[in-house]
Amino acid sequence: MIINLEDRIILIIQSVLDKRPEINLDSHLIEDLMVDSLDKLMILSALEDEFAITIAEDDFADVLTIKDIVGKLQEIV
Amino acid sequence: MDLRNFYHRLSVDESLAEVRGYNPYYLTMNSGLEGKISVNGHQMIDLASNNYLGLASDLRVKQAAVKAVEKYGVSLCGTPIATGYIELYQRLEENLSRFVGLEETIILPSCYQANNGLFSCIAGPQDLIVVDRLAHSSLIQGIKSAGSKIRPFLHNNLEHLEGILQRSTGYRQVFVVTESVFSTVGRIAPFKEIVQLCEKYQAMPVIDDSHGIGVLGKSGHGILEEQGIEGYQGIYTASLGKAIANSGGMISGEKRLINYLRYYCSHLVYSTALTPVALAGIGAVLDIIHSEFDGIKKKLVFNQGEIYESLLEGGFEVVSSQAPINSIQSGSQNDLYSFRD
Repeated sequence: MIINLEDRIILIIQSVLDKRPEINLDSHLIEDLMVDSLDKLMILSALEDEFAITIAEDDFADVLTIKDIVGKLQEIV
Repeated sequence: MDLRNFYHRLSVDESLAEVRGYNPYYLTMNSGLEGKISVNGHQMIDLASNNYLGLASDLRVKQAAVKAVEKYGVSLCGTPIATGYIELYQRLEENLSRFVGLEETIILPSCYQANNGLFSCIAGPQDLIVVDRLAHSSLIQGIKSAGSKIRPFLHNNLEHLEGILQRSTGYRQVFVVTESVFSTVGRIAPFKEIVQLCEKYQAMPVIDDSHGIGVLGKSGHGILEEQGIEGYQGIYTASLGKAIANSGGMISGEKRLINYLRYYCSHLVYSTALTPVALAGIGAVLDIIHSEFDGIKKKLVFNQGEIYESLLEGGFEVVSSQAPINSIQSGSQNDLYSFRD
């Protein structure tokens, strides 16, 4: 089964954020998913592994939603 | 820039406390921890402090502290590297090393300082620090100060940890950081397996045993004794203000590490040495643990079980714990405040 980039990213984020509400593109990292700085690091690490890339944390400093993460990743991948 | 803006952004939201007419933080204690405690004038049973073994008010510990004050005064008014390194300090370092079964030890004013000061000494931007997602704030703050790459692993999840270790190549050194007992829920780390993974991938394990020292192990010597970890080559930190019933923090490990920290750990080098009261008090507690641990531990386990059952009977949602900690799940912050009603 081929899944699109957005779904792939959501699946990766779900794998490291246990016990959180449903995640979709509009989910706000802090308000909806209660993501703290360590969660964010864990998300970025998981994305690095999934896409075999190196992420500079500073590039993702201003992301607020899942959609923002997808946008940043589309620039890199 | 306006000076008023500076103070404006320092505001604390105390609205819930104001609505409830009660703030659970910074309660004024009118007593020590002997028997029932006095809080804001009310007599209460202490279920909140970390005085696991009940030794904070033990007569023998108090007498040792008084004797130390008579000999050394209340402070040496100097850092250990200068005028603060009294014989009591040196003797305690040796006793603590023996207690946890490691080569050497340094003693800092708190474990927060130990954890904060450790990583900036031993790690840098060329290193990777892999840390349990639920590790204590002192470890996280310390790790961040090192400027290393940080990768959290899912709480106590060996599979996730090993995956990260497998993929982590090209670093000067990889560190794996966790706690023995996670104090909010009383869960114990599978540290023996973590050490084995570290050996397999040549990573350096770092364990904070603050809630394990004096509690875990057949003699109360902590996580290494509890899990039968022999010849530990990693780094060990612990608080001396919980079961050890005084104040201070320790870092133990191989002689080369500890000697390096003695000169380069600024949190040690530039902090006034732990007071004679605490040094003597810790020594007395170690003596008591040495001779009476069996009995104290039985009482601790019994009390935890009784409290657990009582809380369940009272309708509370209590987390099942592997350590002598009973953690009540309150839900929201608002629900937490209503516990008092």
